[in-house]
Amino acid sequence: MEPLTLLIIVACIGLGGLLVGLGVHFVPVGGAPAAMAQATGIGTGTTMLAASSGFLGLISAGLVTAEITNGKISYPGFTNAVDSQTLLSISGITSNIGAIAIIIAAGVIGAMLMISILCVVPNVLYIFGLGVPLASAKVKFDPLTGDRQDIYVTRGTEGHGTPSVAVISSLIGGLLAGIGGALTYLALLAGGFSIATAAFAAIGIFFVNSVLASYNIAGTIEGFHDPKFKRWPRAFVGCLIASVVLGIWAAAIMFLGA
Amino acid sequence: MEDLALNLGTLALMGACATIAGAAEDLESDFGSQSNANSQVQLAPQVGYLHRIYNKAICGEPVAYGLLAATGSAIALALATAFSLNIVISLALGATIAALMYGVYATTAYMGRITGQKRFGQPVYLDVLLITTPSIIAHAFIATISIATFSYLLSAIIGQPFPFPILALLWGVMTGGMGSAVGDVHYGAERQYQAKPFGMGLPIASSGKIIQKGEVGLRCSTDIAGFCVKHGGPLTGLGLGLTVFIDLWRHIIFINVANGWGAMIMGLFIVVLIVAFNRGIEIWARKNYGPYKKAED
Repeated sequence: MEPLTLLIIVACIGLGGLLVGLGVHFVPVGGAPAAMAQATGIGTGTTMLAASSGFLGLISAGLVTAEITNGKISYPGFTNAVDSQTLLSISGITSNIGAIAIIIAAGVIGAMLMISILCVVPNVLYIFGLGVPLASAKVKFDPLTGDRQDIYVTRGTEGHGTPSVAVISSLIGGLLAGIGGALTYLALLAGGFSIATAAFAAIGIFFVNSVLASYNIAGTIEGFHDPKFKRWPRAFVGCLIASVVLGIWAAAIMFLGA
Repeated sequence: MEDLALNLGTLALMGACATIAGAAEDLESDFGSQSNANSQVQLAPQVGYLHRIYNKAICGEPVAYGLLAATGSAIALALATAFSLNIVISLALGATIAALMYGVYATTAYMGRITGQKRFGQPVYLDVLLITTPSIIAHAFIATISIATFSYLLSAIIGQPFPFPILALLWGVMTGGMGSAVGDVHYGAERQYQAKPFGMGLPIASSGKIIQKGEVGLRCSTDIAGFCVKHGGPLTGLGLGLTVFIDLWRHIIFINVANGWGAMIMGLFIVVLIVAFNRGIEIWARKNYGPYKKAED
């Protein structure tokens, strides 16, 4: 394999991991307190929330890849480029840009669908099962809709449910995590990994970055309007280093295998 | 045309499996108190609230279900390839073995977590262990066979290229994520704190003070699922069923439109619809429930 192609693969894995790490910061995570209607966000852990959305993106991206390979949608040259491991060379990228774009788009749409359902279905339960309005205690007014928040928060809690601003923030998170997951999968596939190995390695890289980001968040976050969001530069550095190291390992396996 | 009908029929079956899997997953985690806020069950004896709740949360639901679904489907795949066993029988056997394995983990986790609280005077109830563990195994079996079945259908008929145990791992994590996000709210906020008035969040000062008495006698974990099956379980099932159904429906119907981009545009449109629905119910709740206090400024 060309050294430049290997370099592009490392860059794609690095960028993919970085986007996952940043995306996690946008997802409104409430953890255990959210499950008691004691904090704003979704009532589960940061890592698994990001992983759940990214995984649907990965499944969608894999499905679209299969549709291209079996000729259901026509992107000529993609299968050959994957087989000859030239998909991520300069000429491979320019001639297959349509296929690469649709695979990444599939990842994004899958991740956004999952995260929107993960936000909205619990909201149905908060409103009709618990009888509480959706409110955040971190801001006085919702930055997007302008709705008053503080008077809708139960005394002694830090909010409950996922209000509109947090839902929109989660969609941005899904977008970034979807691009990251699909890009990593594509880079591994382009380097000659089999579909199963590429999927598994992409899951691993996804987990590494979402766990790193979770350590940075430490507990709960509501989205881009949360003061904790300002911590993102630390995750940027951490995830970049971790992903590039993983990318170099992946490239080494590809280089030795070829 | 025949392809489309086959794919849509398979999708309907997958959606049904996912709905059952979601509901069974949530109820199983309620039985074992693996649901958030399991920390409250752990905290209760420390604030003087001894209880008869089964407590097996040594890891989160997503990880547990990833393991469970991957184990079940890996065994099924092994049986189907090595012994050329019919896939339906293989899936049933795989799910049985995985659920029994899960029962072992549940038992050791219960014993370990409860004995760790001896210093607070919390007894280990063997009758709780004997009554609740079979319910956990049964619900874990239903969830595993459902997840493994729709993962198999996704791989074998819809044509997703990942091997089906990997798909089961991914869907297991997503099922756990959905159960944790949706169903736990009903368990954590409503059932464990049933004495608080309807229509309020739980103040932090009330943490750990879980309900000890049931409808008859002392409350056990088996009393909890009967309550959570009203909202928590079905909504979790609905959430997972919607995820499986919507994502594949837009793919199957619209993948031929505009060389694949039709499916993406449809997906984006559905996301917009979901967000608009969320805004609708948010406004409804604010208008109908009103604020907790008057605005001072």
